Amino acid sequence: MGLSHGRMPDEALLTGLTTGDPELAVAFVRRFQRTVFGVALAVLGDPQLAEDVAQQTFERAWRHAQVYDSRRGSVRSWLTAIAHNLAIDTVRARRASPADPEDLDELLGIVTETPERRALADDSAERVRRAVAELPREQARALVMAGIYGMTAREVADAEDVPLGTAKTRIRTGTLKIRALLEAEEKR
Amino acid sequence: MSAMECERLRELDAELALGVLPARERAEAVAHLDRCQDCREHVERLTAVGDGLLALLPGADPPVGFESRVVRALGATPAPKPHRRRLRLAAAAVATALACGFGGWAVGTAIEGTPPVAAQRTDGRLREAALVSDGHEVGRIFAHTAGEGTGGRGWVYMSVDLERADRGPARCLLVHADGSTVPVGSFPLKGGYGSWGSPAEVDPATVTGARLVAPDGSVLATAHFPASQGH
Repeated sequence: MGLSHGRMPDEALLTGLTTGDPELAVAFVRRFQRTVFGVALAVLGDPQLAEDVAQQTFERAWRHAQVYDSRRGSVRSWLTAIAHNLAIDTVRARRASPADPEDLDELLGIVTETPERRALADDSAERVRRAVAELPREQARALVMAGIYGMTAREVADAEDVPLGTAKTRIRTGTLKIRALLEAEEKR
Repeated sequence: MSAMECERLRELDAELALGVLPARERAEAVAHLDRCQDCREHVERLTAVGDGLLALLPGADPPVGFESRVVRALGATPAPKPHRRRLRLAAAAVATALACGFGGWAVGTAIEGTPPVAAQRTDGRLREAALVSDGHEVGRIFAHTAGEGTGGRGWVYMSVDLERADRGPARCLLVHADGSTVPVGSFPLKGGYGSWGSPAEVDPATVTGARLVAPDGSVLATAHFPASQGH
């Protein structure tokens, strides 16, 4: 009744990743590469840089498999967090501005898109999507700039041409509203 | 805990949770979280918003050849015997990865080119034993009981490297205190080497060991789990 690698649960695959077994490594990379590369590409906007970051993400996961703690989230969200941190580090090392206004609008469209097939979905991702879509535009922009592009409040203020205090308030209000909406839905 | 401190923390909570607080303010906030459980829990709840945002990002196909480049970088290339080092690495890695219940998300800073080091700590749900053949250790077996993060099921994982160039399949049986055996499954051996994992009902109160059996019924290796520590 053994499972093929492609059907092993995420955690078992992570367990096996560091055994040096090439089949397990291939199965692990194959399962998560779209997610990892997608995060890196969204932040960096450059396929070459995104590929470097995605590769570093898998190397870091391999070296740090022992600190993965299932109580704090899924393997996928762990990898997503690693890829995101590395992508933000890459942006900062290059002193590049990650948020082109057009890219930001496009990304905001993607993360608030609620086509019919998703409208009735009730998983946590869709709840977040609906919550972001309900935010005032300027708060959603600030939240995406900070939460996805990793921009500080000062950088958001400069990009939006608003005072620092306004940028901080937008980030904070947007975050708290989403948290409140999620908690309200969780209690239903 | 001064209310002033908590009030100040709440001004920074979202930026802290999203990871965009400048270094000096971040250090100040983290120092406060070390002392204040309420604020810590508050920030953890907000962190879920950031995680949720990232989960909305669409996947994208990496360039052709990415998969093989990554696998090569991980050093996971097929290697003929000797297997000893591979086996030790496998055992160490499996032990560390299964021994959940400690650690955290700290993946941020120094990265050295060293593979994971075996952790000796477990949360009581992990049983580990050597697989022995003719008095020699030929592998390790790990049995993990059901719990959080295992999808509600127990797991058995093993890595074996027999001197004989057996070409499986090898059958794995869990042995219980009353002498009864329960088949878990079978897996192929290539040149005597194989690693395999499978869901399994693992009752820590009654499982005492495991047995690997060849297709002809001969015993390839046996394992005895140490007595439970009463977790």
